[in-house]
Amino acid sequence: MPAMDEQPLEANDKWLDAYNDRVASLYTFTQCMTLSDIQADGDYKLIIADLGTGSYDMKLKVYKNTNLMSEHTIIDLPTGVVTFYMDTLEPRTPAIAVASGPYIYVYKNLRPYFKFTLPPLDIHPVEQDLWDQAKMDQVNPLVMRETLENLRMEGSVLTVRSLRMLQLDASDLDPFVQVHKASALKRQTVITCLGTLKKSLADDDAISCLVLGTENKAIYILDPEAFTVLATMELPSVPVFLSVNGLFDVEYRIVTSCRNGCVYTLKRGASEGVVKHCIELKSQPVGMERINKNIYVGTMDQMLHCFTAKGKKLWTVKMPSTIMTLEAIDFKPKGFKAVAVALANRQVQLYKEKYLVDVIHTEDVVTGLRFGRFAREEGTMVMTTKSGSLFVKILKRSAKFEERDLAAGPPSAQNVKLNVPKKTKLFVDQTLRERENAVSMHRTFQRDLYLLRLNVAREYAKALDNSMNPISSDPTEPLKLSAQIQGIGPTFKLTVNLQNTSLTQASSNLFITFEFDDRLYSFRKKFIQVPMLVPGLNYIFDTFIDCQNDKGVSDNVKVFVLKQGKSVPLITGVISMPVAETVIMS
Amino acid sequence: MDPLFLAYSYFRRRKFKESADICTKLLEKNPYDQAAWTLKTRALTGQVYVDEVDVDEEGIAEMLMDDNAIANVSRPGTSLRKPGTSSQGGPSQGVRPTSQSGRPLSGFVRPGTQGGRPGTMEQAIRTPRTAHTARPVTSSSGRFVRLGTASMLSTPDGPFINLARLNFSKYAARPNLAKALFEYIFHHENDIRNALELAALATEANQYKDWWWKVQLAKCYYRLGMYRDAETQLKSAIKQQEMVDTFLHLGKVYVRLDQPLTAVETYKQGLEKFPGETTLLTGMARIYEGLTEMDNAVKLYKDVLHFDNMHVEAVACIATHHFYTDQPEVALKFYRRLLQMGVYNAELFNNLGLCCFYAQQYDMTLTCFERALSLADEATVSDVWFNLGHLALGICDHNLAYQCFRLALSNNNDHAEAYNNLGVLELKRGHVEAARAFFQAAFVIAPHMYEPHYNFAALADQLGDLQSSYVSARRAVENYPNHTDSQELLKQLRQHFSLL
Repeated sequence: MPAMDEQPLEANDKWLDAYNDRVASLYTFTQCMTLSDIQADGDYKLIIADLGTGSYDMKLKVYKNTNLMSEHTIIDLPTGVVTFYMDTLEPRTPAIAVASGPYIYVYKNLRPYFKFTLPPLDIHPVEQDLWDQAKMDQVNPLVMRETLENLRMEGSVLTVRSLRMLQLDASDLDPFVQVHKASALKRQTVITCLGTLKKSLADDDAISCLVLGTENKAIYILDPEAFTVLATMELPSVPVFLSVNGLFDVEYRIVTSCRNGCVYTLKRGASEGVVKHCIELKSQPVGMERINKNIYVGTMDQMLHCFTAKGKKLWTVKMPSTIMTLEAIDFKPKGFKAVAVALANRQVQLYKEKYLVDVIHTEDVVTGLRFGRFAREEGTMVMTTKSGSLFVKILKRSAKFEERDLAAGPPSAQNVKLNVPKKTKLFVDQTLRERENAVSMHRTFQRDLYLLRLNVAREYAKALDNSMNPISSDPTEPLKLSAQIQGIGPTFKLTVNLQNTSLTQASSNLFITFEFDDRLYSFRKKFIQVPMLVPGLNYIFDTFIDCQNDKGVSDNVKVFVLKQGKSVPLITGVISMPVAETVIMS
Repeated sequence: MDPLFLAYSYFRRRKFKESADICTKLLEKNPYDQAAWTLKTRALTGQVYVDEVDVDEEGIAEMLMDDNAIANVSRPGTSLRKPGTSSQGGPSQGVRPTSQSGRPLSGFVRPGTQGGRPGTMEQAIRTPRTAHTARPVTSSSGRFVRLGTASMLSTPDGPFINLARLNFSKYAARPNLAKALFEYIFHHENDIRNALELAALATEANQYKDWWWKVQLAKCYYRLGMYRDAETQLKSAIKQQEMVDTFLHLGKVYVRLDQPLTAVETYKQGLEKFPGETTLLTGMARIYEGLTEMDNAVKLYKDVLHFDNMHVEAVACIATHHFYTDQPEVALKFYRRLLQMGVYNAELFNNLGLCCFYAQQYDMTLTCFERALSLADEATVSDVWFNLGHLALGICDHNLAYQCFRLALSNNNDHAEAYNNLGVLELKRGHVEAARAFFQAAFVIAPHMYEPHYNFAALADQLGDLQSSYVSARRAVENYPNHTDSQELLKQLRQHFSLL
């Protein structure tokens, strides 16, 4: 019995935990899971092709609600599971198609119904010849192996039997040939991906064709009733993900991503020249979904890309972790369409367009993801994890997905349009002028710049000569002066701030004195003796100034900082005195 | 020629001194010549006449001892006292520098754009850097004193009219004399009390029916700080006769009462009567500028240009707006327009140089600055050097930048921006102590700037003086609440302090 555990890992306001089974021991992927009403009773079943241990014990499992309803052994590793309607009989029960190796096993009413084998491929004549000779014991296995090896080196594609032979030790060759020489040589390919395509009607329960992608770089479309190949399409590479829409008899489009990192779009038409256009990805695809007309591709470099049907890239979002699988979400009652991305950091993120709308935290890394109708519940997310657990979550009816409300996604500021002024026509005109006269402009600027440097240097030297600076340029006396005048008159207060800006050196033997028009002002202190200045501290000296004139005249006052034994002041501050107010009370 | 006719002719040609001299001679011959007397009063007034609407400097007394304030904490966007609270949001301080009042720098220097309302007495009595004169104590002295004294100097043998001996009621009844006399008292003598007395008597003599006298009364009340009385008079004057001047005065009264929205309403009322009146539009634009609603202000300035495309203030303000909204090429066009209009001063060339530099018209840049330097006087030369320093920073010539900033400082010891930039340059050279001193100097001189506070905080943080760093970062955030770096620093420090 599966352990029932209804404890949610983290409270999520959008998803209800319906079923957790940590010991389901499922080894499967998104492509091998599907949800379908296979008994036509309105109760949707979960169909999982379990890869078992990866080499044996492969099973087709069907879950009804939370119970395992039936199990069928599969002979080889499954690569895809789909359900499709193959006839028009009532009740409308769809068939299950399981792709495995070169075969498609079709189950109807949960009973094996048909096995389709891919058409055999041409065998290289030399190889055929060799095995024919081997059949009559006319060839030495060692020579045979060497010839095959050469064939392989030339780039010809060999049969599985020959390839196996190349791997064997010399001692095992003879028994191997003895065992296999009797049976006919066949070259078969392997199905890599599986999809369905409605044949002539767009109804939900219309007859569908199977679409197969194979290892020999081709896509086949099978007739559901006669199981004959209706169309074959060649691709430049091996397809790994398929997305099909349209009707076979009318118009259809197959988007497929291939092992060479390209996404090709095929459409109905001439059976050979079908590749319409191609999107080249920068990394290997790990999942591909199609919502409306946009193609969503997750790649190995942790990116989720979105392209238009025509192959134009719309956006790219960097994922916080490696992408495990993708699943399209189409929740019809709410008209909500999104893509779910399972990540290696144990999260399933939901992206509506490029905005992260929800994050589901899971206990383990999710490898298989299906959204759809399960049992009688419309919006159900079925997840299988790396450790083999099965989780079922139901989308709450009250759930609302708001765009760009989650901080974990792209920051909302990214979507705020900046108020960047438009490029004006003037700017363009000026740029033109710049382009045309670049050389002369540069020359003029450089010439002016040299002139300016000269002028600045002259002025600077003059200011240094006059010591007209409030900052000392003498490295032995690094001082800084700032003076403020306060008050409204006729009496002002002059504050002199003196600071030693050196790190270690103290300054001493300094005086402050002033230069002023004695008809206008009288200083209460005309001479201030400065104590030793400790580096870094700010020393404040002040004096009162009386304005002698009531005619509204003002003048500049200079503050000198002098050093004993030097005739030139170290630093000078110039203060423009404000106009004194007249004495109000007279 | 009849000397009186000649005197009139001189008066009309605005040769007031000649006109007054002739009148003096006429009056010497006949002291009771009313025509000559009136003309002389008008000529003397004309010498010192300043448009009352534009001259408006708030004194310390008005600002700090203002008992007209309705609410200390006003609602956002309704007060001129708290700039930047309007919903629209002005330009970022990181882009457009602010004046002491925390308001973005205006493109046009007007009385009151330099200082703004200080928060404390200490700020109030300190001379703003760019203003170069102290703030007057009250609006009845200050600038007006100087105007008065200037005329006093020109007539050393005593005033033309001895106000103390005038019989106001006699003159008030004679409209031909009274108006000239009033203007003389108001503008030339700057004796508001007597002017008010005359105006009051004259209004009475006119049975309260003359709007002109009401406006004059309001002007007197305004000068005396009786804004509500001024408002009443002006409203009643508007009822009698709608005049642009009256609307402007009423707007001014509301601005003084810190009711910018009502002032805007008043101007709008005026505009209904006088559509396209540029002075009204400019008044509105100034208020919006004061409220840091730059978009509205610029829109109005554009309207002004629609009606008067030679309006220097509008052109300058639009140019400044474009410059600070990252469109220097447009600003350049407007400044060139100013140049074509005949404005020829250091400030304009300085701005042209900056626009050229940022619009990548490098060949013109330095020529403009050269011109600016040669035209600059004591007050502006340091700013030109400062801007040249910025240019030098732009071309990564740190040595040149250093020299330019030093020159800016040597020409104006209180150039806080230059101190701040010098500090950064010193820091780059590794002179930590000097950088610290410069930042300190910068924020002592200009406590309204956030840059020196932040720079000092960042430096102190690196030096391990966390307490000073915290204090300075707090001040930086106070000055510029949206400054992310300061906020980050503050957060980091808080976390540090709270850790055990």
